[in-house]
Amino acid sequence: MTVLAGFLGSGKTTLVNHLLRQADGPRIMVLVNDFGDLPIDEDLIAAKDGDTLTLANGCACCSMGAGLYKAFSTALDYEPTPDHLLIEASGVAEPKRIANFARAEPDLTLNGIVTMVDALNFQTTREDQRLSEIVEAQISSAHILLLNKCDLAQQQNIDICAEILRHVNETAPIIKITHGALSGDIFFGEGRSIDRLSETSNDSHSHTHETDFSRWSVATDSEINKATLKEVLNHLPPSILRVKGIFRATGESDLWVAHKAGTHIDISPLSMDSSFSGRTGFVAIGTKSPDFSNILDAAFHSLK
Amino acid sequence: MSAITVFSAKKIITMNPARPNATHVAVRDGRVLATGTIDEIAGWGDYTLDDSFANKVIMPGFVEGHCHLMAGGIWRYTYVGYQDRVDPDGKLWPGVKTLEEVLTRLKEAEMELGPDDALVAWGFDPIFLMDRRLDKNDLDNVSPSRPIAVVHSNFHLLTVNSASLSLANYVADMDVDGIALGPDGSPNGELQEMAAMFPIMRRLGIDLRELGRTERSLVDFGKVCNRVGVTTAADLINDLPDEDVAQMKTITDGSDYPIRLMSLLNGISQPADETRERALELKGKSTEKLRLGAVKIITDGSIQGFTARLRWPYHYNGAPNGIWNIAPEQLNVLVSVLNEAGVQMHIHTNGDEAIEVALDALEQAKIKKNRPDLLHVLQHCQMADRAQFRKMKRLGVAANLFSNHIYYFGDKHYELTIGPDRALRMDACQSAIDFGVPFAIHSDAPVTPMAPLFTAWCAVNRLTESGKLLGEYERISVDEALQAITLGAAATLHMDHEVGSIETGKWADFAILENDPETIGAENLKDVGIWGTVLAGEKHKIP
Repeated sequence: MTVLAGFLGSGKTTLVNHLLRQADGPRIMVLVNDFGDLPIDEDLIAAKDGDTLTLANGCACCSMGAGLYKAFSTALDYEPTPDHLLIEASGVAEPKRIANFARAEPDLTLNGIVTMVDALNFQTTREDQRLSEIVEAQISSAHILLLNKCDLAQQQNIDICAEILRHVNETAPIIKITHGALSGDIFFGEGRSIDRLSETSNDSHSHTHETDFSRWSVATDSEINKATLKEVLNHLPPSILRVKGIFRATGESDLWVAHKAGTHIDISPLSMDSSFSGRTGFVAIGTKSPDFSNILDAAFHSLK
Repeated sequence: MSAITVFSAKKIITMNPARPNATHVAVRDGRVLATGTIDEIAGWGDYTLDDSFANKVIMPGFVEGHCHLMAGGIWRYTYVGYQDRVDPDGKLWPGVKTLEEVLTRLKEAEMELGPDDALVAWGFDPIFLMDRRLDKNDLDNVSPSRPIAVVHSNFHLLTVNSASLSLANYVADMDVDGIALGPDGSPNGELQEMAAMFPIMRRLGIDLRELGRTERSLVDFGKVCNRVGVTTAADLINDLPDEDVAQMKTITDGSDYPIRLMSLLNGISQPADETRERALELKGKSTEKLRLGAVKIITDGSIQGFTARLRWPYHYNGAPNGIWNIAPEQLNVLVSVLNEAGVQMHIHTNGDEAIEVALDALEQAKIKKNRPDLLHVLQHCQMADRAQFRKMKRLGVAANLFSNHIYYFGDKHYELTIGPDRALRMDACQSAIDFGVPFAIHSDAPVTPMAPLFTAWCAVNRLTESGKLLGEYERISVDEALQAITLGAAATLHMDHEVGSIETGKWADFAILENDPETIGAENLKDVGIWGTVLAGEKHKIP
């Protein structure tokens, strides 16, 4: 489960539409914790049943208007079980409170809090006495920060925003985006590409480069110490946005899953019913930089 | 012509200043035909005299302007509160005063259950959290195998036993906010806030919202009202899907159903335009006993939960400011849309910043379009200062004040949440009177027990649970308090032309009292005995 937070007008709805439009494969269920319109472009909607919209690509969208209890019950009982739960938090919601549902509920795994900030209006909102604490809470609890509308704001303002964000939240990576667009694998993590590890041989790694982001993967069936792994993930620089891996833990028979979403790290047993391909290894996404692969190569080399 | 029934009484308190007291009231077609002496009434023609209230006092049926249908349904669970309460069937549940008494009551309830039932209790009082907290070990002694969940009186905390914890795989070193840990690092059974409570509530099927929706719950709610002399009650938030409306209509239509029920649509579960359309549609479905069409909007949280939105200097104990359920900017839009369409709003505001934001929204809406036909209401409105009351008067906005808070939470407000200055001016009935703001007082049942005469006692005496006088200035007279629980509350529901006083043309809805609240003494107001009620001329004796 991923929580998407951010104040009114920051562009959450546009991003949600973008993610749903892009989705091909993983079923995303969106819970909207706002009493605005269900933020789904008309052409995506296949059917409407009460508070729930069904999309042609298997995704769904449900209003949280009747309360968190009902919304989470609906989502958890939904058939077929969604692969990702995306909570579009209300503009005044404390994302941490919502993320706690995933931390407490055994049927959910927290995939991080992503907070979106509008580079155009951020400073005005932040100076509003009635809203300043909540804006601060949204930023400080984020595991990944998205600075949106970077095409519309002046460079100087973007820099000031980034500086304030860094001041409130020292560790979360800041991704600058335009038009609320971000690719699904960065937002949700590389759910499917683990399976694609079969394309590479054992103990090898590959990387692909796109314009702004780099991707990296390694296949390994070595036994890995969980505490050491956590340390390694913890010490990766903010430019490494997401890491996901399935691995054999030292001294344990079961397989384990590790997630890193910005500053959020979760290491838990691989659930029995997951459609696991049998390949173990790690994949990562980060912002493009010359030493991207070297950092990851070195970090994971130290695990062996 | 329909028959006339005349009730005689020791005294009739009419709330009609032209004829404040009477000995007889005549009823025809469910309405008050006349009040006065038997000689005066005789002029209306033949009548049947009913003297069953000859030794009783008749008042207008009380109006509870803010409560929830859950007040009926919650009784399916075992009551473990500190105060005495009476269930819908009249059974007295004495308050449990020690942890041992709580556990004894749970053990008794446990023996009544079937093998697969969970034991769920409610009303557990925070007073027990002062020295030693209830934990899983206590509840494991009640049953090590049957899941147990104790819902605290504020509905924001839950204490469970080990069997419940294991249902949700709650184990040591989870490090989740809201799952409290014992000295050994494992969960001690106390769960704070919905995120931590949800996995267990879901697995035990405890859905508090659903509690108000069943037929039995509606029937029990009517019984709860009847026992305390209430003939009109407002259920202050409901999603009101068609099937629930149909069920409410069927049940309230029954001649044995003892109240007029108003149910308010949740205004923040859909976009503003949809709320408007649905509210107008619902208004058309109103009947004599079921009133629909008004909207509830929740802005902030609760003072005792530290989630109310406060202005400077914020919480007395330094706790962070509270939460918004709707952004001020969005509230402005919603309030304007509904005001323009003629939809009455009841806006939940506890903290003074929430009150400020709500009043600003109402001000903007009223500048855009004046709707003198609508009386919008600030619900709870607990921390309003005198400037805010002046503004309410200017804007023509009413307040429904949460007087029961003075007794139940007043000590905590004075010592912890908002500190002495603001605690002394809480739920400021006298200020409302000073500036001519229409006002009512309420219980928010089941948060505190429904009993308008107790609520009136709180407004008159302003005594906290520990016996402290909280804000002498804001005390009001018995007459003013009786007005607040009848006509005052009726006005906040747009029903003061139909109920709230005993005068010609209004519904013959009465509270039948064993004692005279005007003479029993201010300190005894809460102890006035209640025989039952009359609704549209039909007697509803408490069974």
